[in-house]
Amino acid sequence: MSWELLTVALIAGAANWAFRALPILLHADRLAAGGRLGRFLAATGPAAIATLFVASILPSLTPDLPRLLPVVTGTLAVLGVWFARRSVVLATLAGAAAHGLTVWLFG
Amino acid sequence: MTRTRPPFLDGLLASLPIVLGYFPIAFSFGVAATRADFTALEAFALSLIIYAGASQFLALALLSSGAPVLVAAFTLVAMNLRHVLYGPALMREAGADAGRRHAWVWAWSLTDEVFGQALGALARGQRFSEAYMFGLGFGAYAAWVAGTLAGALAGGGALEGWPALNAGLGFMLPALFLALLLSILSRPQLPVIAVAGLATVVGTLGLSPTSGILLGMLAGAVAGLVRR
Repeated sequence: MSWELLTVALIAGAANWAFRALPILLHADRLAAGGRLGRFLAATGPAAIATLFVASILPSLTPDLPRLLPVVTGTLAVLGVWFARRSVVLATLAGAAAHGLTVWLFG
Repeated sequence: MTRTRPPFLDGLLASLPIVLGYFPIAFSFGVAATRADFTALEAFALSLIIYAGASQFLALALLSSGAPVLVAAFTLVAMNLRHVLYGPALMREAGADAGRRHAWVWAWSLTDEVFGQALGALARGQRFSEAYMFGLGFGAYAAWVAGTLAGALAGGGALEGWPALNAGLGFMLPALFLALLLSILSRPQLPVIAVAGLATVVGTLGLSPTSGILLGMLAGAVAGLVRR
């Protein structure tokens, strides 16, 4: 294994651990409780999930209808199963299954 | 919420959609690493030590193009800076009495998807538990590392003979994020969600996908400040 790869991995990995764990261990949320930073943090979760959804679906959006169709059926399946069962796991699996099935039928 | 299973097992089961989403992505990372002339052990080490999807693909590009070690490392560090907000946001929702004694271990697995799933569970009324976080995080991490190793050992073209399966697995993460978004959806959060989504589109199309993610999260969180 090359030392360059190991060095890059160790620096990036150590930073990832610090970003994920230190704010919890240092009680950053309590320091922010109630104030403007508290409201900022409360909005971070919904903002992050909305961002990650848009970022993950954006590359699949295309005017090419046959390529768009699996995205549409997959999205509708997630919406349908979510409103019927209120289960994140089932809605996710249904979306992926509908997407794959559409590719299989029309791809 | 009444529990019928131990929290660790509950977390492990909740990691299922993440596991199904991570495995094929990690698999394709393993394939890409071997195509870029890295060994299976090196691909495995990158997933084990870095554990951050998009930045690992970037690491391959940077390392194989001969970028200086420190430049490559700090590019990856900057790319994952958004994770700094996840812990405090999660613990704020978990409540003041939530345990964090073992956070130095379970917080390692606080990726985008694990954070989203944990936050969604809290929004649905589940009590925070470190054992749940261990289960959720372990499932996701194991899938990521195992997927990488499988991809690196299988080599290129392993999923190319199964286009429908490949496509379905590729849609797993957008489907998960949409389901998580629905699970936390409430009228007061709508402006935050709308601003975050719009800023992501503008940032992604105008600058880069990484900028789009950072801009979307920051713009949405700032919208949370001004809405009350």
